[in-house]
Amino acid sequence: MRTRAVTFFVCLALAASPSAQGEPHNGPRPIAPTWFALTGATVVPSPGERQENTTIVIKDGAITALGGAAPAGATRVDCSGLMIYPGLIDPFVTVDSPAIEPDRSDAHWSPMIQPQRQTLAGAGIPESDRKALRELGFAAAAAVPAGGIVAGTATVVLLDEPATTERPRVIREHAGLVARLARNRNGYPNSEQGAIALLRQTLFDGAWYERCLETIRRNPALANSAPPVSAALAAMARHHELPLLFETRNELQALRAARIAKEHERTAVLIGSGMEFRRLAAIAATGCSLILPLEFPEAPDLDSAAATAGVSLRQLQSWEQAPTNSARLLKAGVEFAWTTARLEKRSAFRSRMRDAIRCGVDEKTALAALTTIPARLLDVDGQLGTIAVGKLANLTVVAGELFDPKAEIRAVWVHGKKHDVDPATDAHLDGEWRLTTWPGSADSEVPVLAIDGKRAKFAIGEDKVAAAVGGRDRQSIALRVMDAFGKGSGVTWLRGHRRGDELAGTGTKADGSSFRFRGERAPASSDGDENDQPPAADAFEPPALTALPTPLGGYGTATMPEPESFAIVGATLWPSDGRGVIVNGGIIVSAGKITYAGPAADMPALPENTRKIDGQGKHVTPGLIDCHSHTGIQGGINESGQAVTAEARIQDVINPDDVNWYRQLAGGVTAANQLHGSANAIGGQSSTVKLRFGCAHPDDMRFEGAPAGIKWALGENPRRANGSRVQTRYPSTRMGVEALIRDRLVAAEAYRKEHAGYEALAPRDRARTLPPRRDLELEAVGEIIAGQRRIHCHSYRQDEIFMLCGIAAEYGFKIGTFQHVLEGYKVADAIKEHAIGASSFSDWWAYKFEVFDAIPDNGAIMHELGVSVSFNSDSNEHARRLNTEAGKAVKYGGVAPAEALCFVTKNPAVQLGIFDRTGSLSSGKDADVAMWSANPLSYMARCEATWVDGRPLFSLDRDAELRAGIANERSRLIQKAAAASKGRRPDKAGDKESRFARLRDAYWAAEYLDDAYCCRTHTLQGGR
Amino acid sequence: MTALPTKRTRPTKTNGSRELAAALFILTGPAIAQDLLPKAAPEAEPIVLQNATIHTVSDGIVLGGTLWFHDGRIGGVLAKGETPSLPENTNPKVIDLQGAHVYPGFVSAHTTLGLQEIGMVRQSVDVNEIGEFTPEVLASVAVNPDSTAIPVARSNGILAAGVFPSGGAIAGRASVIQLDGWTNADMAVLADAGPVVAWPARSFGSRPRRPSSTDRSRQSPDERTREGREAIARAFREARAWLDARTADPSTPIDIRHRALVPAVRGEAPVFVRANELEQIESAVLWATAASLRPVIVGGRDAIAAADLLREHKVPVILDGVHDLPRREDSPYDARFTLPARLAAAGLDFCIATGDGYSNDRNLPYHVATAIAHGLDRNRAVAAITLHAATILGVGNRLGSLAKGKDATLFVCNGDPFELDTRTTHAFIRGRQVDLRNKQTELAEKYRKRYRDLGGK
Repeated sequence: MRTRAVTFFVCLALAASPSAQGEPHNGPRPIAPTWFALTGATVVPSPGERQENTTIVIKDGAITALGGAAPAGATRVDCSGLMIYPGLIDPFVTVDSPAIEPDRSDAHWSPMIQPQRQTLAGAGIPESDRKALRELGFAAAAAVPAGGIVAGTATVVLLDEPATTERPRVIREHAGLVARLARNRNGYPNSEQGAIALLRQTLFDGAWYERCLETIRRNPALANSAPPVSAALAAMARHHELPLLFETRNELQALRAARIAKEHERTAVLIGSGMEFRRLAAIAATGCSLILPLEFPEAPDLDSAAATAGVSLRQLQSWEQAPTNSARLLKAGVEFAWTTARLEKRSAFRSRMRDAIRCGVDEKTALAALTTIPARLLDVDGQLGTIAVGKLANLTVVAGELFDPKAEIRAVWVHGKKHDVDPATDAHLDGEWRLTTWPGSADSEVPVLAIDGKRAKFAIGEDKVAAAVGGRDRQSIALRVMDAFGKGSGVTWLRGHRRGDELAGTGTKADGSSFRFRGERAPASSDGDENDQPPAADAFEPPALTALPTPLGGYGTATMPEPESFAIVGATLWPSDGRGVIVNGGIIVSAGKITYAGPAADMPALPENTRKIDGQGKHVTPGLIDCHSHTGIQGGINESGQAVTAEARIQDVINPDDVNWYRQLAGGVTAANQLHGSANAIGGQSSTVKLRFGCAHPDDMRFEGAPAGIKWALGENPRRANGSRVQTRYPSTRMGVEALIRDRLVAAEAYRKEHAGYEALAPRDRARTLPPRRDLELEAVGEIIAGQRRIHCHSYRQDEIFMLCGIAAEYGFKIGTFQHVLEGYKVADAIKEHAIGASSFSDWWAYKFEVFDAIPDNGAIMHELGVSVSFNSDSNEHARRLNTEAGKAVKYGGVAPAEALCFVTKNPAVQLGIFDRTGSLSSGKDADVAMWSANPLSYMARCEATWVDGRPLFSLDRDAELRAGIANERSRLIQKAAAASKGRRPDKAGDKESRFARLRDAYWAAEYLDDAYCCRTHTLQGGR
Repeated sequence: MTALPTKRTRPTKTNGSRELAAALFILTGPAIAQDLLPKAAPEAEPIVLQNATIHTVSDGIVLGGTLWFHDGRIGGVLAKGETPSLPENTNPKVIDLQGAHVYPGFVSAHTTLGLQEIGMVRQSVDVNEIGEFTPEVLASVAVNPDSTAIPVARSNGILAAGVFPSGGAIAGRASVIQLDGWTNADMAVLADAGPVVAWPARSFGSRPRRPSSTDRSRQSPDERTREGREAIARAFREARAWLDARTADPSTPIDIRHRALVPAVRGEAPVFVRANELEQIESAVLWATAASLRPVIVGGRDAIAAADLLREHKVPVILDGVHDLPRREDSPYDARFTLPARLAAAGLDFCIATGDGYSNDRNLPYHVATAIAHGLDRNRAVAAITLHAATILGVGNRLGSLAKGKDATLFVCNGDPFELDTRTTHAFIRGRQVDLRNKQTELAEKYRKRYRDLGGK
C-alpha cells in the first residue's frame, strides 16, 4: 500500500535522527542517552500475553530486544515489581485546527467541507493534554480536527513532551477522513438530513473530480473544460482510500454513518456515542469497528417528585445500561477501541474502564481496545500497539495491573524517551497520617497530620495547630507548624516522605535541633468530607446483560411480536374496497396476509392454530394511513438552508424510537408518509413507512417497494412570509416560487439529457469525454419529470394549485398529491386531472392568511368531483384520531360513511402507491388491520387492537401489561439511581441553570434538543 | 291562556343546516357569508319547542317535552302532555321538533374567539397587550362581532364563550360573550368575568432547556419564578391596599390597574390562574386562597394530582382540551383522554375547553365525546361544556342549563351532539334564532354551484 510505505519512510527518518528537523541548538548539542534496558518487569507485549521478569531493550526510539540479558552499554532501568504494557493509543483526540478561509478561491462553497485542512496547523494536541493523556498511560493519539462535516484527516502523533527544539512526532499524517453529520446553524445544511446529503454529494464529487483529472491527463485537449480547481475535492480524491472516521452523536446516527460509508464503498470507523447498546443488533450488523467513549450519563435528577416525573424510563435505562455498552458490543462480536473523548473529566477514564470491565469486558479485550485495535484502525500497527522488536518504544509502566484504577502509572516511554508521570498532587500522599513516633508523645496523643493537596492540618488531640505547606511533590511534603510541642514551643519545620503506606519524616525545631518521626495511615474517618468524591467506586453494581427492549423505553419489547394467525368473526367490516360496510363479517389473517375478509357466513374453515377473536360489536378496518406525517424524523424536519433541497432524504433520518409511533398504533395507524417540512419550494424526499414499532433497524420501518416521493411547497411557507426576520432568500413571492420551480425543472431536464448522452457513448468515446457530475438535487428533480417520483405538494390557495397543475401538464408528469390543499375545492377539476389525489385536513383553518378560505367541505367537494381525497394529521396528536377526522367528511358534506373511511385507508394508499399492499381489507393484502369498539367514524370508538403485517403491535391487553411493566421498572430504577447519586449535590453556583453548561447534562440535552429545535423551526415557519 | 299556534316546521333527520335554511320561516336574503348577514332579529312572540327531547342539564332529560321562551328568557320546561302557560295576547311560534334534542348552548370556556381572526396575521390579533401587568384591559372591548370565526363555532352549538386575553403575568380580564349581537355590548353576558393570571412555573426535570436567547437576565429560572410569583402577589396586595385607601379617602387617585382588580379582591369575581404543572397548581392555589381570592385553575393538566387540595379549597378547573398528547414519554397514550373521567372520579369541579385557540372551537363537543369514550359519565360530560362551564365563568345564573328564567340560549340537533353525523338544526341566543350558515357553508355552496354550472353534479 502506498500510504504504508510513506509512513515507514517517516518512521525511519525519525529513528535515524530524532532531532534532525529541529531548530539548531544554541550552544553544544545535548546528546541524551537513547539506549536503555528495562529490566525485571512483568511485560505484557500484546493483549493476552505475559512474560515475567523480562528485559526490554530500546535503542534510538525503537525496541531492539525483548527478553534476554541487558546488553552492556545500555542504561539499565530497574523495573522490577512493575508491569510494562504497550504504550496506549487514544484514537480520537479533538484538536482545534485552523479552518480554511472561506474566501480562498479553491475552497469548497460550504464551510462544512474542509478535507484539505491541516490538522496540526494549529497547536495540535497541547502539552497540557498530552500530559493528561500520559498520566493515563497513553503514548500516542490520533489528533482529529474539530467541527465540520468533512473536517480533515486524523493525524497520529506521539504524546512525548517535545524538547524546545523539536516538533511533535507525526506517525501518520492522514490516518482517516474525519466526518460528522454536523449542522450549520447559519446556513446549509441546518438539518441532519441536509448534512447527510451534503456529505454524500461531497463523496460523489471527490470521485468525480478524480475521474475528471484522470480523463484530462489522458486527453490534454480537455483541459479547457476541466472543473474549477478545488482544494477540497482534490483532497477528497487524494484521501479516497482512507477510512471514514465518523463521529456520531447517537446510535441511530452511527447506523446512518455506516450506510453512507457502505454506499461509497468506504471503510467506516464509528466514533460512538456510548449508546450503541440501544440498537445493538443493528450496530453489530454494520460490521464497522467502533471507537467508544467511556462517558456514562450521570444519574438523572430525582431530587423532587416533579423532576422525577420528568425522567423517562428510557433515560433511566440508558443511565443504568451505559456502562454495559462495551460488554454488550463485545458479546455481539463488535470490535472496538476506547477513547478518552467526551469524558467530562479525563481523569475518570481509568475508573470508567474498570466499570466497563466489570460489566463483562475481559482484560485482554480491554487492552486490545487501547493498543492493537486502535493501532490497526489508524493503520499504524506496524509501529505501535505491541511490544515487539522493531516497533516504536512506546511503553506504559504501571505499578500494578493497568486495569486496577488504583495502580499507579509510573512512566510512559514515548519513542524511547521516558516520561515520568508526575501529577502535581498525588492522591496517595493525601489523607490522614498518625505520627506514631513523635518525640515525647503518649500513644494516646499522637499528632495527626492531614494532607489534602496543597493544604495540611496538624492536630494533637483536640488542639489544632496552624500548618503551612512549604512545598510538596508526589512523594514528599514540607511544612511549618506552630506550637507543635505545646503552647509557646514555637515554630517547627517538618519534612515527610512517603514510602508506600508509611510516612518517614524529619523535623527541625526552632532551636536547630532535629528529630525523626514516622507516620502511618490513620483509618479512614467516617465523617470525612465526601462531597467532592464520586460515589464510592465499589457502589457500582454491574447490571446483568439481559436483553433490552427495542426501542429502549417503556413501550419497547425484547423481541418484536411475530405475525399471528387470527380470525375476527362476527364483526362489522369496513373493507374500503368498494364493498361498503359488511355487517356480521369475518376476517382471517395468516402469515402476515389477509386470507379472507367478507361475510362471516361465507368464511372458509379456519386454518389450524388460528386464534379466533369474537367480533361481536366490534368494527374492523384496514390499518389507517397518514398521508402527511412528521413523526419520527430526527435532526430537523426541514432542511431550510436552501430553497431547493431535493437532495435531502427523510429516509436517511428515520427515528424508529419515537414513542409517537406507538401512540399512533393505538389510534389504528399502520402506515405513514413522512414528509420533509414546507420551508422550501422544492423540499426533501419523503419516506413511506409502516409503523413497525420495535423493529431492529430504522430501515425496517420503510415500506418496501413504495414509490419515491418528494415534498414541494407553495405559498407563504417557501416565501417565508410568516417569519419575523427580514427574508433575503429567494423566493419571496408566489411568482418567485413558480420561477424557481421552473428553473430547476429546466436544469433537471438538461441534467438528464447530459447523463443520458454520456451513458450512450461508446466506451472509447466515453474515455475521451469528461464525465458529467452526479448531482443529487437534479437527479431527484429529474426523477419527477421521468414519472419516477411523486410530488407531495404543500399548497393552499387555488392559484398556486392551478399553477402547479399547469407545470405538470407542461412537463407531462402527474403530481402525487396536493397536501393541505385547503382551497382545493375551488379547483377540484384541475386537481382531478393533474394529480393522483388531494390530502387535506378535515377542518383546520384561519391559522394563517392563506387558509382563510379553508372550509370543512373541502374534502367532500373534491370527492364529489372524483378526486381521490385523504385526510391527514400533520401532527403527532391528530395522527391518533385519523378515524374521526374521516368522520368529519360525513359531517361536512355528507360523504357516505364507507367512503369517508376511505379518506384514511384506501385513498392515502392510492396516493402513496401502496394500495396493492395495504389500505383495504382484501384477500392477499398485508395484514394491516385495526379493530374498534364501535363505529370507527365516531368519537365513541376506541381502537382495541392494531396489527401490522399480522404482528400484534397494539392491543388494550398488551398496553395494560406495558403500563404495569413501566411502573415496576421505573420504580426499580428510580430507587437504584437515587441510591447511586445519594442526593444530587447542589451546584456550586447554587443554580440549576449552571448545569446546562455541564457536559453530562448536555449529554441528555442532545437527546432532546433536536426535537425542540425542529419543532420550533417548524412552527416558526408556519408549520402546517 | 293562548291557543296553540299553527305555524309549524318539521326538521327531518336527514336535513342538514344548509337545506334547513331554506325551510325555516325566519331566514331570508341572499346566500352570502354570515359575517355579511344581519344578526338575529328580535322575537316579539314566544317560541314554543314542542315534542322535544330536552336536556335540561340541571334537571334531567325530558322526553317529548315542551320548552318555551319569550323576551330572551326561558318561560318553562314542561313534561310531555303539559301545556305551557304563555303570556296573554301573544301569538307564539311553535316548532314541532319530532323528538329532536334540545341542549343549552355549549360554552367554550377558554378561547380567544372574537379577539383574533387569522393567527399569523398580527394585525388581526388582539390578544396580548404590552406589559407584564395589564389587568386594566378587558376582553369584551375588543371582541369583533363580525368575526368569521363566530358563526363557524355557532354552527356546531357553541353559543357562548369565555374570551381570555393572554400574555404577561396578568394579561387582563376575561369576558363571557354570547355568539350573537350587533355590538360587543350586545354580546357581553358578563363583561368582567375576572382577571387572568399566568402563574409562573418552576422548571423541573432533567431535560435542560437552553436559556432563551432573548432572556438576558442573569437570574436563575428558580429566581425568576419566585420573583414572578411575588410580583403577582404584590399586584393583588397593592390593589387591596388601594381599595382600602380609596374607600377611606375618596380623593385617593385612581389607578385603573388597581381598580380593575377590585372585583377579584372583593371576592366578587374569580381569578383565572393559568397553571398546568402540579407544583404550579399547588402553589397557585395556596397563594390565591391565602390572599382571599377565588382561584379558578385554567389549563389543569396535572390537576388530578392536586385533587385533594383543589377539593379542599373548592377550586374549579377549566381543563384545556382533551385532544392532547400525553405529557411524558412514559405516560399512557390515552392519559389526556381519560383525564376528565379521573377528575370526575376525584370529585373535582371542572369544565372542559378546547385548549385550541379560536378557530377550532366548533370541535368542543368532540373533546367531550372522547372523554366519554374514555370513561366520563355522559351527563357529567354535557355539564362540562354547559352548566359547569357557565358556573365557573360566573354566568351559571343565565347560561348552561334549560330552566325557567334562564337565557333562551339553546340549540336543537337531530341526534347525539357528540356524534359526527348529527346536525344542529336550530339555535337560539337569548331567544333570537340565529343563522347557522357561516362563511364556510357559503363558500361550499358557491363552489358547488361552480361545478353544477360546469355541468357536473
